[in-house]
Amino acid sequence: MSNIIEVNNLCYSYDGDAQIVKDAVHNVSFTVKSGEIIGIIGHTGSGKSTLIQHLNGLLKPSSGEIKIEGKNIWEEPKKIRDIRFKVGLVFQYPEYQLFEETVFSDIAFGPKNMGLTGDELVGRVEKICDVVGIKREYFEKSPFDLSGGEKRRVAIAGVMAMEPKVLILDEPIAGLDPKGRREVIEMVRRYRQQFDATVLIVSHNMEDMAVLADRLLVMNGGKLEMFDTVYNVFSKGDALKKIGLSVPMVTRVLNTIKEKYSGVRTDIFTIDDAVKYLCELSAGDSNA
Amino acid sequence: MDNQIEFKNVAFSYDNEQGKRDIIKDFNLSIKRGSFTVILGHNGSGKSTVAKLMNGLYKPTNSDGTVLVDGIDTKDEKNEIEIRRKVGLVFQNPDNQLVASIVEEDVAFGPENLGFAPEKTRERVDEALKAVDMYEFRKSTPHHLSGGQKQRVAIAGIIAMKPECLILDEPTAMLDPKGRAEVIRIIEKLNRENGITVVLITHFMEEAQSADRVVLLSAGEIIRDGTPKEIFSDIKTLKAVGLDVPQTTELLYELKENGIDINTDAISVEETAALISAALHLEEK
Repeated sequence: MSNIIEVNNLCYSYDGDAQIVKDAVHNVSFTVKSGEIIGIIGHTGSGKSTLIQHLNGLLKPSSGEIKIEGKNIWEEPKKIRDIRFKVGLVFQYPEYQLFEETVFSDIAFGPKNMGLTGDELVGRVEKICDVVGIKREYFEKSPFDLSGGEKRRVAIAGVMAMEPKVLILDEPIAGLDPKGRREVIEMVRRYRQQFDATVLIVSHNMEDMAVLADRLLVMNGGKLEMFDTVYNVFSKGDALKKIGLSVPMVTRVLNTIKEKYSGVRTDIFTIDDAVKYLCELSAGDSNA
Repeated sequence: MDNQIEFKNVAFSYDNEQGKRDIIKDFNLSIKRGSFTVILGHNGSGKSTVAKLMNGLYKPTNSDGTVLVDGIDTKDEKNEIEIRRKVGLVFQNPDNQLVASIVEEDVAFGPENLGFAPEKTRERVDEALKAVDMYEFRKSTPHHLSGGQKQRVAIAGIIAMKPECLILDEPTAMLDPKGRAEVIRIIEKLNRENGITVVLITHFMEEAQSADRVVLLSAGEIIRDGTPKEIFSDIKTLKAVGLDVPQTTELLYELKENGIDINTDAISVEETAALISAALHLEEK
């Protein structure tokens, strides 16, 4: 599989204001394969948002390079707009950026900027709405009449409508209730499947990351602390704790049990796996 | 009179071009003075409406419905200022609640508006900032604080007016796990040590662990009302109304569903681990 994203020795520092220098990124290198789902975790101020804003050229590295599909995105600075269509970025609380009068116009805004018009534009909007489950009857509604979860989905669909090969979402489920969270996660999954896209998600929710991500990229103090499979990252609970992160709650339960009863496995990160394991343990116990 | 807030047959509906929409109907609820109540509900369950009715920001839309704060009717406009002083409201987004460029000036905004002398205001501000553990940041710019710190400053701004009751409408929804824990700790402290009546509105179940009482709201109706343990042992109902169930509780529930004889009313990691160890007879190994 080919590398769709390649980041080499990325450094970024803010000029002037020493107060916010904590947000800088220091010498970060990693590669992402096409089609992967990468979870990006790290506490507030660890450099996650600064990092992802480099991937679609919103920020320019102080040094180092970013390659998308093998091409340095700053090689031709005038073409950076094309990168923004190839790498779609959904900001935190994107619903605050809805501004059009109807749901349709809001979703159409991105593709329109790409130069689509007429039937092609309508087709593009309809297609993405079919993929992510936004019904046609919503098209003429005002985004401001929708619920919080619906607004969020419309805002995300607006970025997806540009059909970026790489979709980056900054805390897409923050502030949503469980139903809203499930819907957003589902729409991201469907988008990735339908368009063979690569997805990067910044999240604080380790439980959802355990279920959704292939690999986890851990940021700390502007540096890349770990970049490994979900299994390997969550197996390092102590190291995560030191940098203000935690393993999923089920894993913490198993860790607590292990403090007293050493034969217990702690390399389990989802409810389903934990239930299966503990039931086996229980069966073994009654057979003995 | 030991009820801080009392809802009697309250209805609230919106009336716009799309027609009339009832948010709550025949709503009855009493909040005891000094208590810590958590109102749990999913988005759209009516919980924010209930919050706004509690300090008179909204008024019942039916003529025979009343909300009493300390026995005073919120419908009567001449009571407005008194009610706002008794009941402080904290919202979800701290950025929308901070107005000044220096932390202590922000906290001083309320007491100054109430017309306190400068020395008195000073005293209130220092006290409030200490209560939320933000005194050392009094000269900072709110912009440079973390989300949890900002929300604590917003809470300080409310308690500087010495309300009897604090209503918090999803105060942690926009915070990271560390910020959430900070804010919840402060809320618990304000209730226990300062005796402030607290109504916390949230969809995070684990924030209700140390509450005296949990009220479960769905589609504008109270569908459960009890202690945290009573409410949390009923996972089926919680999930049915679309609430967040912590992984700990969910794990216990799933184990029980799979035929393991186990209690399901724990929330903390430690309690859950202890229940599982006991149910699997791990001590015998």
